[in-house]
Amino acid sequence: MKWKNVLRLISIDIKSGRLIRGQRLRRYRESRALHYVMYGGSCLLGIAIGWLVGTVYNGLPDPNVREMLLLGAKSLFISAPTLVLTYSLIFTMMSQIQRAGIKSSIQPPYWLPITWGEHTLASILANLIGIQLAALIFIVSAMSVVSVFLGEVSLAALTIFALLAIAFVASATTEIFRVLQVRLTGAVYKSSGKAAIWVRFFGSILLFVVFYVVYFYFTSGANYAAILEALASGQKILWFIPYIWPGMALFYFTNGQIVETIVFSLGSVAFLSALFAVAVKLNSRFGLYEPPAIRVSVGAYAPRVGLWGRLGFSLSEAAIMRKDFKAFTRRRELMYFFVLPIAIIVSMIMPLMRTGQAGTLVPQELLFFSALILLMPGALMAIMLGSMIIGQEGAPVWHLYSSPITVESLVKCKYAFVVIFSCAVTLACGTVGIIIIRPSLRMIFAALIESIFLIVSLSAVSLRAGIKGADFVEIPRPRMIRPLEAIINFIICLILAGVILAPLIPYAGAMMGFLNPLPQFYLYVALAISGAAAAIVTYGFYRIALKNAKDFLAEAET
Amino acid sequence: MVTSSESAVKLMGVAKRYADVVAVDYVDLDVKQGEIFGLLGPNGSGKSTLLKMILGLVKPDSGSVNVLGIRAEENPVAIKAQVGYVPEVPRLYEFLTGIEYLDFTADLYGVSPAEKRERINEYLEALELEGREGDMISAYSLGMTQKVTLISAFIHKPKLLLLDEPLNGLDPRSARIIKDLLRELASKGVTTIMSTHILEIAQAMCDRIAIMYEGRLLAIGNMEELREKARLPESNLEEIFLTLTGTSDVRAVVEALMK
Repeated sequence: MKWKNVLRLISIDIKSGRLIRGQRLRRYRESRALHYVMYGGSCLLGIAIGWLVGTVYNGLPDPNVREMLLLGAKSLFISAPTLVLTYSLIFTMMSQIQRAGIKSSIQPPYWLPITWGEHTLASILANLIGIQLAALIFIVSAMSVVSVFLGEVSLAALTIFALLAIAFVASATTEIFRVLQVRLTGAVYKSSGKAAIWVRFFGSILLFVVFYVVYFYFTSGANYAAILEALASGQKILWFIPYIWPGMALFYFTNGQIVETIVFSLGSVAFLSALFAVAVKLNSRFGLYEPPAIRVSVGAYAPRVGLWGRLGFSLSEAAIMRKDFKAFTRRRELMYFFVLPIAIIVSMIMPLMRTGQAGTLVPQELLFFSALILLMPGALMAIMLGSMIIGQEGAPVWHLYSSPITVESLVKCKYAFVVIFSCAVTLACGTVGIIIIRPSLRMIFAALIESIFLIVSLSAVSLRAGIKGADFVEIPRPRMIRPLEAIINFIICLILAGVILAPLIPYAGAMMGFLNPLPQFYLYVALAISGAAAAIVTYGFYRIALKNAKDFLAEAET
Repeated sequence: MVTSSESAVKLMGVAKRYADVVAVDYVDLDVKQGEIFGLLGPNGSGKSTLLKMILGLVKPDSGSVNVLGIRAEENPVAIKAQVGYVPEVPRLYEFLTGIEYLDFTADLYGVSPAEKRERINEYLEALELEGREGDMISAYSLGMTQKVTLISAFIHKPKLLLLDEPLNGLDPRSARIIKDLLRELASKGVTTIMSTHILEIAQAMCDRIAIMYEGRLLAIGNMEELREKARLPESNLEEIFLTLTGTSDVRAVVEALMK
């Protein structure tokens, strides 16, 4: 294995983000030092925290407290590899999921003199670069410093080796998963035929949802002390799982059981090597595997009017809407749009389901959850979709530039698509929410009306931003909207959503018991005022969107 | 050739700069209706920019662009409706199948369902894409993608074709069909402006040829006029091109590389 080749490949991987960062392409220059700022910062932060903790520890007068802290630190050292394993798996898989949408795949240039071993090693290490590596540097530097104060340098040294090994194991596992997933996908396409589109669509959504729900569950509201405790004590029971062998080695080391320590350390090295060997083998077997083409239609071509045509859209408008619908159901990088509302619903409803509270919510909770589930998914979808509906065209945007499409048609069909899509999401998520939370009919009625107001108005607001900030960069992954424009749009949307919902605040306050009860008709008055505000916002921003679209079509060259 | 005296494309004093790079340097051009006009030049000489200006995809810094009697800045949509365009690197919607893509472009140009069906099926058969039209474009080869792009440029019966490397990646049979088709269309008054690096194709197909270099038009005319301009009687287009663009030091370059 040529280590220089591995380093070169890793460096290519680091550079793959250049275009997405919006660097200018001519006379390209970049500061290498900037790449290392994050890692240097993590290291300094780790040293500072380690020194702080160590100083506090040394300054403690009570030996019992010091002993308790030392035991706690040992637990942390022992459980650190398993914690790092979990996080590394989540982050490396997240990185791979993002890469699934990369337009230009980072495939090994197979015609160059690079071995599969070099490629696989580079891929595994490159996958750790970023937040994972920064976190690892932070933990390692903090542990190194604190161990000096605690007098546990040898344990810290072993822990650091274990952490590095386990991060590699996690990334190698992700690499194996990635290669297998490509091969499996190919097999599914081949056997599914036309249904492959829908298999892929629902399969991807299911994968993302499960992944994100696990991620949210793990990262929000987790009792870390309990997790540490469980990991430190529970590892011994699960000794047969090789992923926790580095933690086991540390456990036996702290107990002074040298033979067991050596056995589990060697076992960990063997497991790491075996995983790497499997990853290399799989890469050499399926690394260049291309999933077969998906054949969507067979037989003679017969044009159809289609749903959009029947709804009164012109030929070109309906064509763009049909194309956009196919984009959102066939492009993997756009499937995230479906995932977000579903993940929100699931992660919100899960705690209710677990505690069996869903049917017995107090009015405040009922109002809160109803509002969240009925208002949020549609509104979020309108914001996201509206701001990205133009940028998602990517490089093929030349079709819009070179075709005889008027500004009015372009804005109309894109706006209609965003509104219809967001309403469908509200309907789907709302139905699930209503079944589980069981709000009153009055609440459902008010929330659905408000949801439509939000969708109609925020779609126009976001479409304006989406046209103005459209970004057609596709490599390494589609960006769709310039980040600054997306942030500004989100803030504007939040403010305007607040304005539109404001008339209902007194009604909600009364329902929650914070204000005196209001007459029945107040709800309808509030809805009417809210509707008027939404109409004004929609009209104003739709006009701006038209103006932006005019500039957009006129300035095709940029 | 059925060349009309009427202009299909008329550029007057057209210029375009990108920062410190001059892409097109005050070009005057008059392409007649029914003409097959070749645009040649080394890489970066401004050919693609010129084609994009004609279609209204690039706004000139100065000068005027008149296409099919319409000023480009006044009604670009009306021009686009009558133009068929094949870009140098056609990036298509890869998530669509070939047939879905053609259906989409035909709808953009407002082709009626009956016409659309007839023409798409004819072209698919002619270019031997039948049987693969239901596959996603992401699985197409370069040649198949080019065929789909060409069909989408022809489908609405345009009056002007702007083709950037139209035969790129095509198999010999399909290339021949496209060449013959362009000839037939020219005889019916359809104008073609094509940019190509394959000089044999340009020499064989084009009624007139313009040679661009560093944004300027070095020479324009039929083969005889170009030979006169280069003072190379009996020579082929390659020799004329190399002489006029001052890049005829090919032998010396090869010898230097062989050292």
